Amino acid sequence: MRKTRRIVLISIMIAQALVLSVAESWFPIPVPVPGVKLGLANIVTIMAIVYFTTAETFLIVLLRTVMASFFTGGPVILLFSVTGGILSTLVMALLYRKFSKVFSLVGISIAGSVTHNIGQLAVASLVMKSVSVFGYLPVLIISGIIMGFFVGLCSTFLKRALDKAGLSI
Amino acid sequence: MLRKGDIVLVAVMILVVAAGYYIINLTRSSGDGAVAVIKLNNEVVKKIDLNSVAGTELVRLEGKYSNVIAVEKGRIRFQDADCPDRLCVNTGWISLRGETAVCLPNKAMIVIEGEDTATDGIAY
Repeated sequence: MRKTRRIVLISIMIAQALVLSVAESWFPIPVPVPGVKLGLANIVTIMAIVYFTTAETFLIVLLRTVMASFFTGGPVILLFSVTGGILSTLVMALLYRKFSKVFSLVGISIAGSVTHNIGQLAVASLVMKSVSVFGYLPVLIISGIIMGFFVGLCSTFLKRALDKAGLSI
Repeated sequence: MLRKGDIVLVAVMILVVAAGYYIINLTRSSGDGAVAVIKLNNEVVKKIDLNSVAGTELVRLEGKYSNVIAVEKGRIRFQDADCPDRLCVNTGWISLRGETAVCLPNKAMIVIEGEDTATDGIAY
């Protein structure tokens, strides 16, 4: 019974993350740098880290990125988002599990956004066989801080509301 | 709600960015011998000496998508593209050594390289 409940909850999380990724692609941010985006789906990743195991979080992130690439982007974009997604989940899960006394959800989210962007640049430099794409790094770190802050705030409020609602997993 | 670690983290990142900008500015300079290198699928398609261009020249790139590159004296840009995001076109003109414009969907890239003879600055 508990197992079924978990499967259903995980599926709901994936569906929500998917909707957020697709909805966010309707609102492109007018910055001439590839990779700058809101990263709303990260809210779901953070919730997964808080309420689920790390393995389940990776499952959610992996399925979300693969399925999102069917709706937006394509195989090349998939490579970018999978690498970014896995790297940022790794960092965020580590920070939340080991250093949650030092970092709040906002800091964890910022760290996640920035590693996501660094991961994407790493893939871009491999695809282009050139390190000059790392010239975008400063812009992507700044945008990661801003978007990560926003996503972190949303996650903080959402976690508060979920805890109040007495969600049991 | 914010903890100490958050602030330290952001401070460190901003320091890294500041250092990054400083380094990028060191490598970028508007030397006279600016050569634009156009690459498609990691292969050099064309090298253009930006100072020997008169008027506007157009270069077509046909990869998975197609790009139109416009070259004028001292500067170069992606003029038009049929890739989905068109970030390359939005990057606009580039002219300084070390600057790049990239079209990831088409795996196309313009890099401005300087000739070795170009100097960073001359003092008399």
